[in-house]
Amino acid sequence: MVGRIFALVRKDLQLFLRDIRGLLLIFFMPFMFIVIMSLALRGSFGGGNERPIRVAAVVEDRGSQAARVLEELDRFPGFDVETNHGGRPLDRAAAGEQVAAGEQAVAVIFPADFSAALEADPTERSAPAVVQVMLDPAAPVQIVQPIIGTVRGLVERSVYRAMMPRGLDRMIDWIAPEMAPARRAALRAVAERAAAGRMQDGGGSAVRIERVAPPGMRPQRLPDSFQQNVPGYTVFGIFWIVSLIAHSIHDERRHGTFRRLLVAPLGRGTMLVGKLLPYFLINLVQATVMLGAASLIFDLDLGDSPAGLAVIVVAASVASSGLGVLVSSITRTDAQIGGLTTMLLLTLSAIGGCFVPRVAMPDWLASVGLASPHAWALDGLQDILMRGCGVVEVLPRAGVLLGFGALFFLLGLWRFRFE
Amino acid sequence: MSAPILTVEGLVKSYGGRRAVDGLSLTVGPKEIFGLLGPNGAGKSTTLAMLSTLLVPDAGRIELDGVDLVREPGRVRPWLGYVPQELALYPALSARDNLSFFGRIYGLGGRKLAERVDAVLDVVGLRDRARELVRTFSGGMMRRLNLAAGLVHSPKVLFLDEPTVGVDPQSRNFIFEHVLRLRNEGLTILYTSHYMEEVQRLCDRVAIIDEGRMLALDTPQALVGRLGEGLLVLGLPDGGLEGLSPCASRLDAVGKVTVRDGRLYLEANNVNRALVELLDLCNVRQIGLTSLQVLPPSLESVFLRLTGKRLRD
Repeated sequence: MVGRIFALVRKDLQLFLRDIRGLLLIFFMPFMFIVIMSLALRGSFGGGNERPIRVAAVVEDRGSQAARVLEELDRFPGFDVETNHGGRPLDRAAAGEQVAAGEQAVAVIFPADFSAALEADPTERSAPAVVQVMLDPAAPVQIVQPIIGTVRGLVERSVYRAMMPRGLDRMIDWIAPEMAPARRAALRAVAERAAAGRMQDGGGSAVRIERVAPPGMRPQRLPDSFQQNVPGYTVFGIFWIVSLIAHSIHDERRHGTFRRLLVAPLGRGTMLVGKLLPYFLINLVQATVMLGAASLIFDLDLGDSPAGLAVIVVAASVASSGLGVLVSSITRTDAQIGGLTTMLLLTLSAIGGCFVPRVAMPDWLASVGLASPHAWALDGLQDILMRGCGVVEVLPRAGVLLGFGALFFLLGLWRFRFE
Repeated sequence: MSAPILTVEGLVKSYGGRRAVDGLSLTVGPKEIFGLLGPNGAGKSTTLAMLSTLLVPDAGRIELDGVDLVREPGRVRPWLGYVPQELALYPALSARDNLSFFGRIYGLGGRKLAERVDAVLDVVGLRDRARELVRTFSGGMMRRLNLAAGLVHSPKVLFLDEPTVGVDPQSRNFIFEHVLRLRNEGLTILYTSHYMEEVQRLCDRVAIIDEGRMLALDTPQALVGRLGEGLLVLGLPDGGLEGLSPCASRLDAVGKVTVRDGRLYLEANNVNRALVELLDLCNVRQIGLTSLQVLPPSLESVFLRLTGKRLRD
């Protein structure tokens, strides 16, 4: 029996290697997605040498407060502030052109009275200081909101800094008008440090944010866009084997070769094993090539557990093979296979988080995503690549994937036609 | 005839309420080319599907070389060579790769496999095209390779299901020659066709089947010989059939007389004399003929007499 299974495997591998479309679908398409999407989204992730978000700044302010805000924004990780264009200070019209042309994601405009408004006597202020943010109306909220939030935070800190000394003077005048100038200056220095969020010794920030991992996971370096995209599009690619399996089984029926094999001393079980095994092997090679290439070319950190990666890849391949049997059992034409696999795989990939992380989805959609084997495979790969997990930690996810595979296979077998 | 290698008794297969094969019984001897002749839908392919273990019969017994084929299909499959009506090949593989694959499926390997592949490529005349992809072959070449795929594992019995459908005359002759050659080399062949010429030319014995039932079984010569010199088919007006039929069977030049679908079928021992006697009889009885056909002795005529239909209907 082993020899006959080997013959079936060898035949399907021969056919696969002569099928340019299949090779492109399995190896080229997901890899191109990884490259294009990772390069396109480099600015959206914080780790490594990611491309910062460029912010055009128009400074019409006649005081110093706008410059202080921009200086801090420029020091902020992930932002690159540009106040000049063509050797001249950026004006409102030029900034508008750059945003409209898509050269800058956003332009921040500090009007002429920005400093004056901040520094005005609190008891005499009638209107808030205004900062204008110019955006492409089509800019995605994921890009826009962090920029606006960061600018708002920095501006509010400037507000405190600008208002604190004047407000303190006013309080001292009320409470202790006879206070000596030296004591008044010392008190003002303490207040300014507090407003700047600095420790009493004048050194570091009063708040330190430490990154820790949930129990059972180890903190890794901040993920870059490749670490986000390689697992997603590897899982996306693994499940496209469904299309190849369904087309291959359909071809066997169409060419009458299944009929001929049924007359041979094979048995239907051997035929199915021999049909699925080559595609399972192709999946393993595919995942190895994708992850290996990402590691070599893009310096992707593959984590500390190759065995854990293997467990997840094998389990995902079992699930994809089972889905291939199911799809082939309910389709009868090439057009049906093409339509169903495209719709099914894109939907399962999308809700499974291959394109957009499930944490960014509404709760209900993230829950629905658990019905997709892609979600479990992706979480398993991310456990290894980004959460520092090992074999034992990913076994439950592998078990769910094997369950998906068994369910798909049994449903497919129930409807399967050899002729 | 020596002991049969294939015995079929009371074979039945129904689809829904329709009996595709209805009580078929036959035996096939070793080194015999046995023909199943009938029009499309007669039940030939269903019969072959049961004989080749693709379908399980509803009733009946099939024995191949002493083994019950229905109960032990796995045991007899290595002995069967099956050449389906439709091409059953991998177009993206070469001829050699196709044959090697089918050989491996039957447990061949190594040198034995290479020798068998070369041998069957020689049989079908494709040795010099062995490395070319099948999708580049002509229809006739594909048919020949289809035949080779059924032979690569040296079966005891070869089932050929309409192997010449859609084949050019040159390839058809090629297949005929090689079927005869295979028989001469000791292979038993069961051959289905709705082309009477090829059955008449190739087969040692022929079973004529229609609507799932066997109507006649004999050598082509014996079946055709029953028609004498030919078959006369007479169309008669209302009432003429009853008037002419009893008298016609007593004519010297006429053999068996059959009435079917309002027509009279007369096997003529001597066509000219039978015609003269019949026309005299019609004059005497004052019966006008509405049609008259004189058919040469052939399997087509045999089929027409048995069923009232032409093979290609």
